[in-house]
Amino acid sequence: MKGLGYPRVRFGSRLAFGVGLAAVLAALLIMGSGLALAQQTVVIGMLGPLSGDYATYGVSVANGVELAINEANASGKYSYRFVLRKEDTRGDQVQALNAINKLIELDRVTAIVGAVLSGETLTAGPIAQDAGVPFITPSATAPAVSEIGDYEFRNVITDDMQAAQMAEYAVKNLGLRRFAILYANNDYGLALRRAFEAGVRAHGGQVVAVESYLDGDSNFSAQLTNIAAQNPEALYIGGYYTEAAKIAQQAALQGLKVRLMGADGFDSPELINLGGAAVEGALFTSGFYNGTQDPLAAEFVRKYEAAYGSKPDMFAANAYDSARIIIEAIQAVGPNRAAVRDWIANVKDFPGVTGLTTFAENGDAVKPLYILRVENGQFVQER
Amino acid sequence: MLDWADGLLRSFINPYYYGVLVTIGINIILALSLNLVTGFTGQLHLGHAAFMAIGAYTAGLLATKAGTGFWAAVLAAGLMAAVAGVIVGLPTLRLRGDYLAIATLGFGEIVRITLLNLDITGGPFGLRGIPRQTNLPIVILAVIFTFLVLRSLVNSRMGRALIAIREDEVAAQTMGIDTTRLKVTSFTVAAFFAGIAGALFAYWFRYLNPSSFGFMVSIELLAMVVFGGLGNLLGSVVGASVMTYLPELLRTVAPAIAERRLVFYGALLVIIMILRPNGLLGTSSEQGWLEIWLARRRSRSPATTSAASGQVPPASTGGAGHGPA
Repeated sequence: MKGLGYPRVRFGSRLAFGVGLAAVLAALLIMGSGLALAQQTVVIGMLGPLSGDYATYGVSVANGVELAINEANASGKYSYRFVLRKEDTRGDQVQALNAINKLIELDRVTAIVGAVLSGETLTAGPIAQDAGVPFITPSATAPAVSEIGDYEFRNVITDDMQAAQMAEYAVKNLGLRRFAILYANNDYGLALRRAFEAGVRAHGGQVVAVESYLDGDSNFSAQLTNIAAQNPEALYIGGYYTEAAKIAQQAALQGLKVRLMGADGFDSPELINLGGAAVEGALFTSGFYNGTQDPLAAEFVRKYEAAYGSKPDMFAANAYDSARIIIEAIQAVGPNRAAVRDWIANVKDFPGVTGLTTFAENGDAVKPLYILRVENGQFVQER
Repeated sequence: MLDWADGLLRSFINPYYYGVLVTIGINIILALSLNLVTGFTGQLHLGHAAFMAIGAYTAGLLATKAGTGFWAAVLAAGLMAAVAGVIVGLPTLRLRGDYLAIATLGFGEIVRITLLNLDITGGPFGLRGIPRQTNLPIVILAVIFTFLVLRSLVNSRMGRALIAIREDEVAAQTMGIDTTRLKVTSFTVAAFFAGIAGALFAYWFRYLNPSSFGFMVSIELLAMVVFGGLGNLLGSVVGASVMTYLPELLRTVAPAIAERRLVFYGALLVIIMILRPNGLLGTSSEQGWLEIWLARRRSRSPATTSAASGQVPPASTGGAGHGPA
């Protein structure tokens, strides 16, 4: 400072300067708080299992919504201050109904992200529909969810769509023709099996074997023997990573040389931990890829990891996007439930971390789907 | 149905609390009916949610597939559950204690898995599109009806016989009580009311899924009965109300700990079991820490009269000392 040749100031004038500065700061502070007071508070609800068996899903969703709201409030770009109200459903119907009633009637939410599981969404959804409260589920994939009504939106790619796109990619891009299907006999596995079979047929491929198993099975040799007899080029597994990893290992032991395929049930590091070399080259569909190069998504992964200490999964990413869509809607049209619904219904190519999102007539999101591949013990993007 | 009463109640009850009251009412009916089997007849029954499921799905299917009216469907639901009660009760109620518990637990799982695998019930996708016709006045009437029927039943000759079976089955048999027939009857009556509660559940929630009737629901119902007091009908009303409302209370008064509210729920049960093992209003003679402590206080403080007479019976009136010592 001295070197710049400023004149020395006496203590008295320094004091005067300090007082003046303090006065200006105080004035700014008062003005600032005045602005903050003028900012209207808008409540956004979140509904899902925060305790119990399905808490991992609910907590991911809650984190995603919380991150979006904290960012919006910190950015200073919005004319409203957003407040999050999270309600736990324990994954249970009775709790889900009481929780959504509380969000709507006591907390007076403008819109809701949730519910997380299909069953609770089918219970709580009609309540929000009747009350005219728009809600976006980031994860409920049951087909009936889209029949709840015009206040329901679904920002997740359904099981049907995943299987259909994998079938198309396998036939058209990979040139595979002979497919076998091995699926878990539950709603998830059944939906994937039906859509994959239809997709393969539609694109001119052939399904040569269809076998099923029960959740928790650990020996698949009978099914794999039947499948091997039909000599397929690819095996589509409609199920979760635990069984998929075992199926991959047992197929390798039997000397079955097939391309393994699946859906977002594969999307866990456990697939590689359990499956090892046997799952190398496996392909699966997923709504989100946390190793992505996309700048928006990479930024989200970084911020999420800083806030919660783990990489975000698909639930968190969908929830983050859903909350951001609601925030933008409120900013655009104000905290009016019907207007927010209309804005969401008409949004075109919303730039989310899960890709450009548009909602179809029935409320289902239309957005890109990743196809991921296991390569050297890592998930990499195939498409 | 009862629209005027419903309108009146809705005019001053917030819809959230209205919904909570409906779930409390449905749980009271379930707890009351379970108390008849477990509290009065002394049979450990771990599959009560299955009767509720049978009633709920009967009403739901009648409403969605056959277009049956509300009251007819509710009655049919109760009767269907009662028939299931007879069919299950006849073989299983010959079993006792642990064996009965395992058999009823198995029955609960069979019902849930059957509902999961049938096509007509929608399997894992559930049953949708049931109209919302349950309202608070109907639930209140159903609770009063259940309470009055069960109260006159347990105060009747048959009720005494049930209590005799609970206290000592062999002795009851010696007294000429047809224990199997009475146990099956109590099971059937309980199943009937659970079926009614299930129907009210279906017409309130509008969507049914087998996972709403799992083992944990049966356990929660049992916890309500035990908390309120085995063998006391008012206890079941209190138990069901407290245990249904407590999680909701924590939701509103302490949102910060709401996610951990089940811990409080569990802690409350543990405390009650330590202080009063027979539940808040239970009628059995089991003594908890609370009673023991109260008894000690009583025997210590008024050292002159009651304590002295309880501990040192006067030698002259020998008969008095033999009483409840």
